[in-house]
Amino acid sequence: MMNSASAIDIGRPAIPWETRRHFWRGELKGSEYTWALAFLVPYIAVFLIFVAYPVVYGLWMGSDAGLYRQLFADPIYQNTAVNTVLYLALAVNVKMVLALLLSGFFMRPGRWTQALLMIFVLPWAIPALSAFISIHWMLNGEWGFLNNLLYTLFHIDGAYWLNDRWLALGSAIVSHIWKWLPFWMVILIAGRMAIPLDIRDTAKVDGATGVRSFVHITLPLIANLYLTCTLLSTIFTLGDFNTVYFVTGGGPANLTHVLATLGIRDAFDIAQPRLGVAAVMSALPLMIPLVLVLMRRLRTAEVQL
Amino acid sequence: MAYLTRRSLLGRSLALAATASFARPHIAKAAATTATMWWAQGFVQDEDIALRKVVSDYEKASGNKIELSIIPFAPERQKIISALTSGVVPDLFNNNPGEIIAQYGWKDRWVDVSDVVETQKDKYSKTALLAAQPYNNVTKQRSFYGVPIQGAVVPIHVWKSLVEKAGYQISDLPKTWDAFFDFFKDVQKKLRDQGMRKIYGQGFQVTANGVDPNNLFYNFLSAHGGKDIVTSDGHTHLDDPQVREAAIKTISYLTSSYKDGYVPPSAINWNDADDNNAFHAHLMVMDVDGTLSTEVAVKAEHPDQYFKEMHTQGYPLSNDGKPVTALFGVTCAMIPKGAKNVEVAKELLKYWIQPEVVGGFIQTGLGRWLPVMPDLVKDPFWQDPKDPHRPGYAKMGLIDPTMPYYYVYNPAISEIDAEHVWSVAEFDVIQRGMAPEQAVDKAFKRAATIFAKYQIA
Repeated sequence: MMNSASAIDIGRPAIPWETRRHFWRGELKGSEYTWALAFLVPYIAVFLIFVAYPVVYGLWMGSDAGLYRQLFADPIYQNTAVNTVLYLALAVNVKMVLALLLSGFFMRPGRWTQALLMIFVLPWAIPALSAFISIHWMLNGEWGFLNNLLYTLFHIDGAYWLNDRWLALGSAIVSHIWKWLPFWMVILIAGRMAIPLDIRDTAKVDGATGVRSFVHITLPLIANLYLTCTLLSTIFTLGDFNTVYFVTGGGPANLTHVLATLGIRDAFDIAQPRLGVAAVMSALPLMIPLVLVLMRRLRTAEVQL
Repeated sequence: MAYLTRRSLLGRSLALAATASFARPHIAKAAATTATMWWAQGFVQDEDIALRKVVSDYEKASGNKIELSIIPFAPERQKIISALTSGVVPDLFNNNPGEIIAQYGWKDRWVDVSDVVETQKDKYSKTALLAAQPYNNVTKQRSFYGVPIQGAVVPIHVWKSLVEKAGYQISDLPKTWDAFFDFFKDVQKKLRDQGMRKIYGQGFQVTANGVDPNNLFYNFLSAHGGKDIVTSDGHTHLDDPQVREAAIKTISYLTSSYKDGYVPPSAINWNDADDNNAFHAHLMVMDVDGTLSTEVAVKAEHPDQYFKEMHTQGYPLSNDGKPVTALFGVTCAMIPKGAKNVEVAKELLKYWIQPEVVGGFIQTGLGRWLPVMPDLVKDPFWQDPKDPHRPGYAKMGLIDPTMPYYYVYNPAISEIDAEHVWSVAEFDVIQRGMAPEQAVDKAFKRAATIFAKYQIA
């Protein structure tokens, strides 16, 4: 017996073969289509193996609701969630504001500015691991470089930077800013350099210099770039494992973990990889809106810098 | 003369492909004599040399091939967990982290290696045998899921030079627990009186990082009568008043030492390397730390420190004069289920655990690790009176009373340790002003929640 859906299908006019062929092939003819496929297949294969599969595998690993119950019952998780929000809010925004200001400074002409820029970019160029291990030792309360320097210069005993939750988290945030500030500053310098000179010159003729030029010319023109950089930096910072792991080790007493380090701890120290994935996946409610906003910005940003 | 036509070319290609397909089983059979092995990189290069020698000697003796990867400790741990998660596993690796023997034994993920252990079973120490038998929650019984290779205790390392500078001799060290550790408070006072502004008597790792703080807690717990917090049947005894009392005494001693200024303040957030660095920097007079790595690290560059300035010893007696049972960590070799060349892996292990082979292996590695066979420490290498460290270390590990790490009894302990439940209790007292009793009760409550997931009948 024929069902109603089939009856409707029968009633529809059949899509002509040529139309379907055009849908798949576009304007390509003969061997062009084969070549197009040949170029496309490796890309699709790489995409499936290295992008789609890991994402789906990760989603599958973190798909059990029981993992989240276990995660939320972990007393460390709540602190970690708070730390992650603070880490993102402070590290990203302070870093980006400083990058914006310093990008203006380094736009100044002069050889000494260029020389200073080279030095300033160094933290970004050196390997993260050795930098953060060095910072961990520098911050040691008894024999660390920082406290020894304070004692030598001012005869004062410095704080135990890694003993207190907020000092330790602050140290990690400062370390992150120190490491990644140069990168974003260079991006913003490039953005400033793309502002046409005639706009600046016209503004100068109209009397807009200094702060007024920054507020009325530079800022509006690089606002989209700044926002895009901030969103990207938020996504990168959310996955930043090295800074906290090597500077504070998540201590004292597990009080400075962020989701990235907690995920690694759960996966490899407690040997529960699925719980580790769940820890990282718990950031998705924050990540997905960020990615959506970012994609929307990228679509609308094409008319501006 | 035959001409090469398109048809003949295709025909010959097909014939070649068919021949290659039939030849594959032979190649596969030949590959069956190759096993893949992962092992953690040694603390000193000599340990890696020793491992390569064992593997190469076995290859010569058997004709088999071992693809050995020596991997730094932390990356190896991640590789192992990832391999066990994905199911694509090598044929053999060490238990890194140590707890995985229990955690994955619980899930029935190891090949039973009783037949390997059986070949030398009478030579092993009782502790080593216990350490290789985690509980399998699928078969509901214990079995040998690891082959003990080497072990380590957590000895006490002392700067003899600093003790002498304070006006004492090593022979002045008291023989009972609290008096022994209190002695270093006095040494600190004397040294500070001499102008050493930043010297500390006690190197206690009151941190929530790494394995050191757990080792410290359990050894203190044992000394205070709480050894049976978990028994070899896997049952926990958190409700035993004696265990609770021991935990309170442990937390009280460690935290009061810290609060009174006898422990470096940064110890609250040390990692496993920080106490070694602090000890080498003469920041503290004594350290309680696993293996002889503290001493071995300076032997080549500072022989005077190794031979004249450092002192290593086992634990003092408990406060009531009884020997204290020390934790003995055992490195086991394990074969994961899914390994392709189990027979080769087992054969290598049978070769490796022959006393003369495994004994030589540990000695070539400079003796940072201990043998797991008591007879092996009778060797002059371990009894050399000119060496100020090895004889005491060997006595502590293989003559004095020892027990395996608690996680072998019940894998819940590995989760408790990774979460650093005991360190958090110390932190609660030190930073949050909690009374030791309250901190212990809070920690026991958390431990009980974790134990509830690992019930052993």
